[in-house]
Amino acid sequence: MCSPVVVCVLVPRFALLAALGDRGALPAQPVALAPEAGREQMVGEVSAPAEAFGVVAGMRLGEALSRCPELRLVPPDPEGVRGLWHEVLDRIERIGGAPESECAGAAFFEADGLRGIHGGDLGGVLAATRRSLDSSRRAKSEPIKDAGRSPWWAKGEAEDAERRSFSARLGAGPARFAAYCAAREARPRRAPVVIEQRDATHFLAQLPAALLRSRPELGALPDVLDRLGVHTLGELAALPSCAVAERFGHPGLLALDLAHGRDTPLEPRRPPEPVSERIDLPEAASGQQLERALEMLIARVLARRERRGRSLRALAVSARFVAGGTWRQATTLRSASADPERIRLALGGKLAELPSPAESLALEVEAFGPPAQDQGRLIDEQGAARRARLGEAVRQARQAAGEGAALRVLDVDPESRLPERRSVLAPFVESTPRSRR
Amino acid sequence: MTSRASKRLGTPRPARVRAGAGGVPVALEGATVDSVCEDWVVEDRWWTGRPLRRRYFELVLDDGRNVVVFRNLADGGWFAQRG
Repeated sequence: MCSPVVVCVLVPRFALLAALGDRGALPAQPVALAPEAGREQMVGEVSAPAEAFGVVAGMRLGEALSRCPELRLVPPDPEGVRGLWHEVLDRIERIGGAPESECAGAAFFEADGLRGIHGGDLGGVLAATRRSLDSSRRAKSEPIKDAGRSPWWAKGEAEDAERRSFSARLGAGPARFAAYCAAREARPRRAPVVIEQRDATHFLAQLPAALLRSRPELGALPDVLDRLGVHTLGELAALPSCAVAERFGHPGLLALDLAHGRDTPLEPRRPPEPVSERIDLPEAASGQQLERALEMLIARVLARRERRGRSLRALAVSARFVAGGTWRQATTLRSASADPERIRLALGGKLAELPSPAESLALEVEAFGPPAQDQGRLIDEQGAARRARLGEAVRQARQAAGEGAALRVLDVDPESRLPERRSVLAPFVESTPRSRR
Repeated sequence: MTSRASKRLGTPRPARVRAGAGGVPVALEGATVDSVCEDWVVEDRWWTGRPLRRRYFELVLDDGRNVVVFRNLADGGWFAQRG
């Protein structure tokens, strides 16, 4: 059986590049991503000069600074990284690829189905990928057509175009891991490294077993292998599978498969349905004001047409700090819901984790649940029936006159000394019986 | 990313006010001020580049209306506002 050809698009230190705001080249000075606010005090991705001082990602901040006193810390920008990486995945989809990406900086897609539309061979697919990733660099002055979806921090078009150019490494192999290793061997903006299926085991054999860390489920394995004297993937591949299975279980068998150039099938991402809302907070808001802002965001998201009556499964709250940097927390609801009160309760706790004053707050739907279906009730409730009729009336009014047809007064900061800060008009949340939520 | 401006309620609207001695309103939109119930000063955002300073007056007009107006101490403009 002929295995598919997997292409890997690799942008090392992507989170650091995105936070620096200049993807052309990393600075020649030691730079590292600062610890995320409220998280463990460990540095994130580091630049090559910082690595020369012995600073590595995941090192404690104190140790990193003692090893390299000149280390420059850059505030992390998870929101920007996410937006930027989605741009990369969008570009891959534009040339017909179905990318899989578990973390920003590495994407994989199968090339077999794309040969026909890109010249008939793998070289055409890789060239199209390269053109797609580099197009913004050449057309820096062209207006951005989808500027509405550009990251919030992108200031002007030229700057935006600059931010959208990538120095990606391309590699291809018979499976995900082999393609990843091939991309690591490639140089930015140079010819991609292509590993044929018959050469995969030989190619991988020379590489260090530490590369297995690229798979989160195998993160601890390389250290154990190292202690056992297994330093390269070739040495791992030479071990009998029964012995590996007995010693390491399923992770060991997976590692063995990877060392032989085999891997699990790709799971391409589902096309995103971006439904998000953002509120600018004119003053550093906290406490009740933040809760009100969240309440309004929930109401706005629930009122969006794109929801099409579906419940919400997973949401992410994000904030941009006054002092720079961003923060993002994703939440998956225990059961999909369209009940604003339940969603508010689930997300309200996240606001307490906000580590510093925010200048804007955003809510994004990461996954929708099934449609909120009407269920029959054993006991007829007059109030519920009345709310349902009212909800239906609101839906019809919105259908006819748009989202702004039904609004309600929301007290944002009722104690404010300035009357215009006390209340705002927010979308009216349709009242639905509990069973529908 | 959708970013719609919030529709705030109670936003100030410009008003024609004639002020007398001490800057106290004596007429609003042609209606004479019968009495000033209360006046107070609000200062906010003094820590930003756009500080806010207002002098509020709660008025009773001779036609019986009870209204709140303020003078923007930054530019001298008068505004009416629902409390």
